[in-house]
Amino acid sequence: MTIKQSWLTVLLLASSCSHAADFLVTDPAGEPVSPAMVTASPLAAPPVTLGDMGYPPHGVTNRAAVTLTRFTDAAGRASLAVPLDAHSIRVRALGFVDATLSAPAGEGPIAVVLQPMSREQYIASFPSNVWLSQLRFGGDAGLKKTFQLNCAFCHQQASPFMRNERTVEQWLGVFERMNSYGARLPAEDHRRIAELLQRELRDLRENPQQVPEPRPWDPYLAGYEITEWPIGDGFSQMHDFLLHPNGFVYVGDNLFDRIYEVNPETGDYTVYKVPHRDGDTTGGILGNRFTVFPKMDNTMGVHSFAYSQRDGNIFITPSMQQALLEFNPETKAFTIHEMDAGYYPHTIRTDDQDRVWFTLALSSQVARFDRDSGEFTLYDLPARSVREWLVLKALPFIFWMDPARRPQPAPDREGTGLPMPYGIDVAPDGRVWVARLYANDLAVIDPETDEVTMIDFPYEGPRRLRADADGKLWIVAFQDSLLVQYDPASDTFTDYPLPVRNEIPYALNVDRERGVVWVNGNQSDTIMSFDIASERWRVYPMPRQRFFTRDIEVAEDSGAIYTSNSHFPSWQTEGGVPTLLRITPLAQ
Amino acid sequence: MTLAGAGYRWLLLALCAGSAAASDWPVYGGDAGGRHYSPLDQINRANVAQLEVAWVFRSGDSETFGAAMAQTSAQSTPILLPEAAGASLVYCTPFNRVIALDPGSGEQRWDFDPRIDRGGDRPFRCRGVSYAEDRETPAGEHCRQRLFLATHDRRLWAIDAIDGKPCAGFGDQGRVALYGSSGQAPGEVSNSSAPVLANGVVVTGSTVIDFTRATTPRGVVQAFASHSGVPLWQFDPLAGHPDSGSANVWAPMSVDAEHGLVYLPTSAPSPDYYGAGRPGDNLHANSVVALELGSGAVRWHFQHVRHDLWDYDTPAQPILFDWQRDGTRVPALAQLTKQGFVFVLNRLTGEALWEITEQPVPPSQIPGEITARTQPKPIAPPPLLDGFLMPADAWGLTPVDRGHCRRQLAALHNLGLFTPLSETRTLMYPGSLGGPNWGGGALLPGRGVLLVNVNTVAFTGRLVPVAGEPGERELPTAGKRFRVNMAGTPYAVEIESLQSFLGLPCNPPPWGKLLAVDLYGGRILWESALGSVHEMGPVRAPLHIEWGTPNLGGGIATAGGLFFIGATMDRQIRAFDVDNGTTLWRQTLPVDATATPMTYSYRGRQYLLINAGGHAMFNRGSGDYLYAFGLPE
Repeated sequence: MTIKQSWLTVLLLASSCSHAADFLVTDPAGEPVSPAMVTASPLAAPPVTLGDMGYPPHGVTNRAAVTLTRFTDAAGRASLAVPLDAHSIRVRALGFVDATLSAPAGEGPIAVVLQPMSREQYIASFPSNVWLSQLRFGGDAGLKKTFQLNCAFCHQQASPFMRNERTVEQWLGVFERMNSYGARLPAEDHRRIAELLQRELRDLRENPQQVPEPRPWDPYLAGYEITEWPIGDGFSQMHDFLLHPNGFVYVGDNLFDRIYEVNPETGDYTVYKVPHRDGDTTGGILGNRFTVFPKMDNTMGVHSFAYSQRDGNIFITPSMQQALLEFNPETKAFTIHEMDAGYYPHTIRTDDQDRVWFTLALSSQVARFDRDSGEFTLYDLPARSVREWLVLKALPFIFWMDPARRPQPAPDREGTGLPMPYGIDVAPDGRVWVARLYANDLAVIDPETDEVTMIDFPYEGPRRLRADADGKLWIVAFQDSLLVQYDPASDTFTDYPLPVRNEIPYALNVDRERGVVWVNGNQSDTIMSFDIASERWRVYPMPRQRFFTRDIEVAEDSGAIYTSNSHFPSWQTEGGVPTLLRITPLAQ
Repeated sequence: MTLAGAGYRWLLLALCAGSAAASDWPVYGGDAGGRHYSPLDQINRANVAQLEVAWVFRSGDSETFGAAMAQTSAQSTPILLPEAAGASLVYCTPFNRVIALDPGSGEQRWDFDPRIDRGGDRPFRCRGVSYAEDRETPAGEHCRQRLFLATHDRRLWAIDAIDGKPCAGFGDQGRVALYGSSGQAPGEVSNSSAPVLANGVVVTGSTVIDFTRATTPRGVVQAFASHSGVPLWQFDPLAGHPDSGSANVWAPMSVDAEHGLVYLPTSAPSPDYYGAGRPGDNLHANSVVALELGSGAVRWHFQHVRHDLWDYDTPAQPILFDWQRDGTRVPALAQLTKQGFVFVLNRLTGEALWEITEQPVPPSQIPGEITARTQPKPIAPPPLLDGFLMPADAWGLTPVDRGHCRRQLAALHNLGLFTPLSETRTLMYPGSLGGPNWGGGALLPGRGVLLVNVNTVAFTGRLVPVAGEPGERELPTAGKRFRVNMAGTPYAVEIESLQSFLGLPCNPPPWGKLLAVDLYGGRILWESALGSVHEMGPVRAPLHIEWGTPNLGGGIATAGGLFFIGATMDRQIRAFDVDNGTTLWRQTLPVDATATPMTYSYRGRQYLLINAGGHAMFNRGSGDYLYAFGLPE
């Protein structure tokens, strides 16, 4: 069934359940608070079937406890299409204490008076990025970038509980623990960073006037609505996802080998458990780094999604196997395409020729899967040094070893041995572009000639990239906190500072129809959009604190965008569960 | 001299006596705010190495009670009475005998035996007695100077401080029953800490076995008129939670008489490790609650664990002191917790003086168990121990036992502090022993430096599905597995220390430590191992091996720059330099001294006193010793 076939049901539901609730938000002096974020959450979550490790069994459909958020206009007014008697309302604005109303009743607009925070409360409420912005790392900018590259890709780095006082030894314990989970902070930097974090975080706490205020919320927010679908639980990680032409959003739980097929119109979602081969174990060929976690079920490692423009089948990179997954959204059948080489299938895209392209992050390769032949073609991306070449060539031997006895990598600041091809996209001209995160370069593959060309990236941390309608590349420079445009025609780079300070952008997407680049935020609890023509930014605050995003999908028809909160661990996010989130522009 | 003049002199004498008493350990904890501090400095860094035994007193319990001593823990800290009350040293034995001694010689002056009902399962302990001058009793009459004792069999006694006889006018011939009005049965509930007194009110808590049933007895705190024993008020910390119990106050309380407040350190709700039947935060369990002494009304509360699933009782006496920042002094309270946090609060309002951050914590895998999403954590000082222990941290004497520990750690659930127990073994670090425990801490006045002893041995726990029978359990001793059916729940809980096949802990030493914490600056100043393991192996080692040991009991600080503490599993009492943690003196005792010492000055000589009687949980022998040390005369 596609979503179009269920419209009648939706309309019936909408007409019977939705009511417009109006709110008027003011400060104690009666002045309108604008913008204020007004969020409605169901008082009672719909009953769910959770029979498989606390998750819905394969093929079983449940309904999410959908939340809806709007922003007040200049008059302090906002409307939400929800039945008030079944919802709690949270009103939040910068500098004010949250107000919560449970099933408010009454005639006319519901008046909410926000109380200002104390100075201490206000400073404590600042998001991670503004605190992080004031960590100088003793003036060693390179060290700070090393820290950000290796420590800021799972969770926020200066959230309130990261700012807690720790002894140097306690910080060192944190680094060792995080490296055992997969972080790659060079051992030679541990003690210095531990000492700097202890000293500089304490200095900020004792002198909080140094911490700049977060970017104010903008009036245009009143023109948007945010919808959230909580899915999974505190152990899940909703990493990447796909907005499919059938109207469903397919979200991958990276830690539990499950795909959530979400119907954004009804809030229904169905979970499909990704199959794996007999004998495969948790952690796959990488080995399980999370043995101490109470729950973990990722033999495959659902990572990135792309769909075939020919038949709509979905291709998924299982990062913990030498394989490619295919999912038929009609039959719900999975197919595993085995590979005999390459390690860590990562980001994936398809082209107009129905070829499937994805990066192989550990073996520094790009894979092409030809559906007709069922064959893979691997493109080797060059090593940066002889030592790196040796490491890459040794990978088959290393992976032959038992994961429990395998030598653990001891990375240096350059990530030698780990150039890590990461983001990938297919430009309108059919060329395939790749960013290598640790190598700070780009690769472009001409599918017609199989020629690979490398281009130096004059910034640090090219994580994910996308091509716009004109064939220009948009790339996030992760630890440089920049949005970068590369024009292949002129071979020029242009950088655009982000509109919030010390954001560390993970990914982006381009609304080719509207000429807008959407950039993921992960330290500032925001998503950002950049209008290519006007070079103007817009910033959208997230309804939950500690909102870490890694992927964006654009609805071509409406211009709405989707993202997910993939903070790791998810229980650290406000509310304790991951969500799929949509920002929808309201009709003017 | 006129009568008025005589009266004036008497008053002056009383004030001076009071002043002298204030420096001579007149109450449990050194003062009503539990600072464990003495301004005495005759014994100091320069001469502490010369300390020698001044006298030894034996209570006679070992001879009288024989095998029952194995169920005792000697935890009593004596107090020194003022001249008007006889100037005796007074303490209680685990069987609640109250004994008065000559402070200079240790000779017994009198003995009061309440002849307690020794039924029930609770081990025997008594941390102390309390003294007050009863101004409603005419001067010179019996029980003008009186002592209060809360007993194992749930009776509150008032006895005369000079002769040890019951105060006839208090309750029923000197006693009131603490269980009568609330239905608490002797045996399942007992008392261990000294009652607290101020402004004519005596307040007492209780000790409850809180893990064997879903609905254990209520942890009602009771207040009585200290003159008559008339009940004044009661406070049930878990009022409104009918499907739970406990949240009792077993640790020592503190009193701010000037502001008319009593501070209650409340414990976990029942059952300790399973909360599906008690949804929500379970207020006022795991809290420090400030009650108005006169009425029992709640002035403020601070809950440091919401919906406890780890037995993280508030274990230590709230420490009352003046906190300073930027020249501003704030009447403050420092609360040590088992999980290793030090919360510093305004003691008049409960407002946090170090920002409280809401720490997101992992959810539970147990059906129906809804954990709190966040738990409070002070932004400073840092935790007294790190709640993570990873496989790579495994410790062992040899690669073989280290490997055994590493494999165990890799198989444990461990998401750090507040990881809920599941049906798979889960790391409990710290376990329900703490971190800090009832020994509390010592506070250096004017410096805001807190000295505290901490346990650092890791435990594991898991929930085992059972159709349980009430009360089925195995009492734990050192190194043993603890298993108890939590009647009224679908589970038994199983807890054991995390150790290798050699019986050694799997976490790196030290396994007990002493820390100095700067409460003004929010930082740890130094750490030092506390205890030697030389007696913990199958054979006693000839040399001390200072790797730290589990420890119970507290320490005291003095103006001599010293911190005295027993508490360890090596029969030692030690003196540390408060500025750097260097061990300056130690003395071997007949048995472990799991009690907080005290110090006093008598006829120009400073004495250090400690109760050495062993601890049932340590399972290392018992005794009935009271040791006094002093400099050579």
